[in-house]
Amino acid sequence: MATKTKIEIRQLYKIFGPNPKQALQLVLDGVSKPELLEKHDHVLGLQDINVSMGEGKISVIMGLSGSGKSTLIRHLNLLIEPTAGEVLVDGIDVTTYSIDDLRRLRQSRMSMVFQKFALLPHRSVLQNAGLALAVRGETRAMVEGEARKWLERVGLAGYEEHYPHQLSGGMQQRVGIARALASNAETMLMDEAFSALDPLIRTDMQNLLLELQADLHKTIVFITHDLDEAMKLADHLVILKDGYVVQQGDPQQILLYPNDPYIEDFVSDINRARVLRVRSVMTPTNGAGLSDTFGEVGVDDTLEDVIARSGGETSHNYAVVQDGAAVGKLDMKDLVRALVPRAASAPGARAADLN
Amino acid sequence: MGYYDGVFDALGLRDWCDADKVQGPMSMAELMARVRGGAVENNWWDIPFPSLDNLHASCQAIGRTREMTSAVEQGFLDIKDSLKFVLDPLTQPLSWLLDGSIFVFGQTPWWIIIPLMLLASFYVSRSVGITVFVALSFGFLGFIDHYGFAIQTLSIIFVCTVLCVLIGVPIGIAMSKSDTFQRMTIPVLDMLQTLPSFVYLIPLIFLFSVTESKLYGIAIILYAIVPVIRLTDLGIRLVDKDVIEAANAFGMTPGQKLFKVEIPLALPTIMAGVNQTIMMALAMVVIASLVSAPGLGELVLRGIRNLELGVGLVSGFCIVLLAVILDRVSKASLARIDGAQRH
Ligand SMILES: Nc1ncnc2c1ncn2[C@@H]1O[C@H](COP(=O)(O)OP(=O)(O)OP(=O)(O)O)[C@@H](O)[C@H]1O
Ligand SMILES: [Mg+2]
Repeated sequence: MATKTKIEIRQLYKIFGPNPKQALQLVLDGVSKPELLEKHDHVLGLQDINVSMGEGKISVIMGLSGSGKSTLIRHLNLLIEPTAGEVLVDGIDVTTYSIDDLRRLRQSRMSMVFQKFALLPHRSVLQNAGLALAVRGETRAMVEGEARKWLERVGLAGYEEHYPHQLSGGMQQRVGIARALASNAETMLMDEAFSALDPLIRTDMQNLLLELQADLHKTIVFITHDLDEAMKLADHLVILKDGYVVQQGDPQQILLYPNDPYIEDFVSDINRARVLRVRSVMTPTNGAGLSDTFGEVGVDDTLEDVIARSGGETSHNYAVVQDGAAVGKLDMKDLVRALVPRAASAPGARAADLN
Repeated sequence: MGYYDGVFDALGLRDWCDADKVQGPMSMAELMARVRGGAVENNWWDIPFPSLDNLHASCQAIGRTREMTSAVEQGFLDIKDSLKFVLDPLTQPLSWLLDGSIFVFGQTPWWIIIPLMLLASFYVSRSVGITVFVALSFGFLGFIDHYGFAIQTLSIIFVCTVLCVLIGVPIGIAMSKSDTFQRMTIPVLDMLQTLPSFVYLIPLIFLFSVTESKLYGIAIILYAIVPVIRLTDLGIRLVDKDVIEAANAFGMTPGQKLFKVEIPLALPTIMAGVNQTIMMALAMVVIASLVSAPGLGELVLRGIRNLELGVGLVSGFCIVLLAVILDRVSKASLARIDGAQRH
């Protein structure tokens, strides 16, 4: 099932400082980030980023503080101009847009949700939710109708006349999401949208997002520094470090086969049983028949589900079914092995025979 | 015969110095020297500072300080006519506004003005306490026959404050948008704020006749406009960067950003500036009575000039009363705006 590419970033570089073009040449000649900062007084924000984001998918960009996540996402709607490289949205490079085109892109094709909510404190919840439409100059009836609809959708019916400061953080971010959805843009950028919320509310919001996404199929670019959140939401995971992409791909594969000590560190603390799914550890049968299986499990069940079902017994095999048809075999021994983080020294070995 | 004779001789400038030797009027110092016997002693303890006057004593070609000041005066007088030609029509509306507002406020009967004033104070402050205080104060002012003077003072402050806001807010916005413009403007604002208030009056007196109201109008506006400019600039620069970024991310035009985000969010700070502007206008309107600004300042001046202690003190107290009213009402409206958008 090939997905269309919605956003494509090609050879993107961003250097902060008084003379970025000149510093770019140094970087292309192999000067490292610390050296560039120390000797030339420029900050290497992003280097050689190449990422494709599928239409209707959630692409998650993950990295530690200062790795350039915010810088990267702001290139998509050109809140930050690249030093070099292209950002293609629907096949057209946004860096070539005129001011008006860019404004239209921001008003109706790409909306954004912010870490600190960034609501207008002097406007009611209803007015905040309708911001994008009001900016576009829609009629008042239309603005309020849409705003009301989306507020209800995110569970804030009845709060229309409140002001942002009267709401809790979680509710404020719901307004932020309603504001982004009400613009009816196909793409939604979310910069650490849930990082300022406490863990329970954060889980609620993640579920809300997944629920909305199941209906709306937006192209979502989501930024986080939390691996659990990334694993839960991502269709495509991009891991950034010091401004470059360390690894990207299917999140389950990254978890199973990290190709860098940095990522190993990242994944070592995660509850693998809860995150990994059967499809990532099964052996595909490619249509061949199955014998002596103990029972059936779904491809998207988590390993935790399977362990609960097996009652801890590790000698069984299960048939893996998807839409009623058997697609693979799950050996409990493989499952147990997958629970232990592997050293990154042998990347690709298993990955090759799985793919 | 001056101390520095030797210097000019050594430099070979003697001819130049004495070229057009005229016996100008003597300075006080010269006169004293002549009276004392004239001879200049070459005593190192008494080396005179090489000032214009002292250098003049040795070299006639160098002007004296008095000639310098009269040159400044002459220079000012020379450009005065052309300056007046430009400024006069430009500032004429100010005279009309001031005279008009003093006339309207003065002619409207007190039983209309006072209730209107109370309504206005309630509308901006939304506070019964403050409105009652305003009512009592005006009752007192009327009772001691100072109502007319107070109304004149208030109408001048009203016109000047409105103009300060109309001129100052756009300047403040421009400063917040351009660092270069801010760098250029700040020294001017610093100067306006540090110049003693009397000094404003000097060039203005030359430029306009003392009978024109715009004379004191300009002085008040120049003096009082500074805080509203500064605080507009500050307020807009302090608007939450995240909110500005959101405004950009949703494709707001610069105009939408300014009127729907920046000005509303900067409003509490701008209002703090307006409050200070009102207070400074009140301070200046008293001083401006020197150049025939009517109102309570006139009475204070009479108190000083005629040594009428009572008149001066009572009108001084009335000014304090006005100051408290203006401050309380504008602060209350500020607090109201502030409270409406706390987050
Ligand atoms: N305007 C700027 N001028 C100079 N350096 C900048 C600027 N903006 C970002 N940087 C630098 O670029 C790097 C990446 O910053 P960025 O804000 O993208 O990180 P981040 O991954 O979003 O971090 P966080 O998780 O803390 O938000 C940092 O080293 C930062 O110091
Ligand atoms: Mg960030």
